[in-house]
Amino acid sequence: MEEIMTTSQGCESDMDCSDNECYEDYYNINDDSDIEQVDPRKVDPEYFEFKCLYEEEVDRLLNETVETLSNILHIPPSLAKVLLHGHQWNIEEVTRKYHDNPSNTLITSKIEPVTTHSNIIMGRYMCCPVCVMPHPVDKFHSLTCGHLFCRDCWTMHFEVQINQGISTGIACMARECDVLAPEDFVLRHLTRPNMREKYQQFSFQDHVKSHPELRFCPGPNCSIVVHGREIKAKRAICTQCKTTFCFKCGCDYHAPTDCQVIKKWLTKCADDSETANYISAHTKDCPKCHICIEKNGGCNHMQCYNCKHDFCWMCLGDWKSHGSEYYECSRYRENPNIAHESVHAQAREALKKYLHYYERWENHSKSLKLEEQTLGKLRSRINQKVMSGLGTWIDWQYLFTAANLLAKCRYTLQYTYPYAYYMDAGPRKELFEYQQAQLEAEIENLSWKIERAETTDRGDLENQMDIAEKRRTTLLKDFLDV
Amino acid sequence: MAALPRRIIKETQRLMQEPVPGISAVPDDSNARYFHVIVTGPEDSPFEGGLFKLELFLPEDYPMSAPKVRFITKIYHPNIDRLGRICLDILKDKWSPALQIRTVLLSIQALLSAPNPDDPLANDVAELWKVNESEAIRNAKEWTRRYAMDN
Repeated sequence: MEEIMTTSQGCESDMDCSDNECYEDYYNINDDSDIEQVDPRKVDPEYFEFKCLYEEEVDRLLNETVETLSNILHIPPSLAKVLLHGHQWNIEEVTRKYHDNPSNTLITSKIEPVTTHSNIIMGRYMCCPVCVMPHPVDKFHSLTCGHLFCRDCWTMHFEVQINQGISTGIACMARECDVLAPEDFVLRHLTRPNMREKYQQFSFQDHVKSHPELRFCPGPNCSIVVHGREIKAKRAICTQCKTTFCFKCGCDYHAPTDCQVIKKWLTKCADDSETANYISAHTKDCPKCHICIEKNGGCNHMQCYNCKHDFCWMCLGDWKSHGSEYYECSRYRENPNIAHESVHAQAREALKKYLHYYERWENHSKSLKLEEQTLGKLRSRINQKVMSGLGTWIDWQYLFTAANLLAKCRYTLQYTYPYAYYMDAGPRKELFEYQQAQLEAEIENLSWKIERAETTDRGDLENQMDIAEKRRTTLLKDFLDV
Repeated sequence: MAALPRRIIKETQRLMQEPVPGISAVPDDSNARYFHVIVTGPEDSPFEGGLFKLELFLPEDYPMSAPKVRFITKIYHPNIDRLGRICLDILKDKWSPALQIRTVLLSIQALLSAPNPDDPLANDVAELWKVNESEAIRNAKEWTRRYAMDN
């Protein structure tokens, strides 16, 4: 990077042009078309600019920043690196602090000591305070603090620290001296190639972790680093291993719930899930003929094999009241007199409330898995159709698009439940649960139609897809606040 | 086993020639890295009058890594647990290769004079030390009398 990143428009577009690999700007491709340009930032609440980088690219990015700072402050790159690492790579902040008070900045960043140690050297030999061996004076090295130790002791000190996983945090060997050993100093003392490699690998990890715009892909054995333009709880997808995760916390993507709430929810579920599992059995009885039913698909619109009764798996109510009209089995009805009830009753109510949300959370998670199986079945059915001359492979692609959209919608729906659980009662929660119910109804319609894809009209299905996705975006637009 | 580093030899010699008051550290006959340590309970502390046995071991990469120290005599102290393990910063993240056996043992002696219940290792002891210091001190005196005075 030739210049410091600024937030000014001009600079940003300059950078986009100068680096044509930089960020997806697919929305600029149709520049000369008549269609009015739509800013995806405004339309898509989940819009997130990010780039997947290989290790070399990350190295280059970090080195460019180091070089920039080194040039601005006229300090060696290795010190610039320590400064940036200690300031979350915020070049503006470091520059400002340094211009305000250079010596204080260097002291608090552990580059320089509070007081420098002075050495009185007499003769050509000196005794190292660590190994108590006499060495020629020129074998002694020190950091900015002036604490002299022999070369061999420095090497051993670094090797022991590196073997403990410490790299950017290695300090001087003197007692109560916090001064950090910069990279070039450490590398000068490391002779064994495997130690140098280890050190570089650990400090790379430290640097990525201290850089708020960088995050390691959490996928197993994936070495990709995701570079996000903004530090938000948005969805990042690794181009290498396809892992989808929240850029901010690195866990599974969780919109519309935020990072703290989802953490709280998952901990709670881990604590209580056994009870919940015990209470909610895997099967339910048909509300009309009471035959035992095991759910074998993702759709919650159930039709009893025995009596053909249509009902909702969630609330066991008649599906007729769900389909077109007001769908509200996703809404939890709180007992209005709870404040006057006994502690025991309150505890029961709290458990009931939790179970309401947990069951729905768990149910949609199971539905997602079942719908994956549906997709597999779909694939083999399409194969059969293509083989028997009923349309081409391309003709049936829309079914996969539909299945993918369904998974995306249901995923968001699943994550609306922890959000609702932690919401305070009031008009905003009512609005949220209303939109959640709307989304749920359309998702179940979509799932129903996909499971019966061969008999569903394509136009009808695509219409349903559009509705479901619109409901999802509407909910996220109103409630995704990151 | 590799030859004993000069640093360990020098430290051992000095411990023998100029012992620290109230502390004795003698290397084991068969292992020069293993020390039998006796620390006398500091004056004006609940441990006064007691003789506390400890073991000290210098690991392979000493002095780059801290010595391993453990109380063998039972002691009622918020920073020392049932197994005799000691919660002391210089034995962990604040270790510096410039520290020595003698400085470590002096720090342990100082810990006996100034227990720190806010950074506890033995939680029950630390708890009592905070809520009812006089009772905790009574317990510490009792344990000193019972376990650190009979020999």
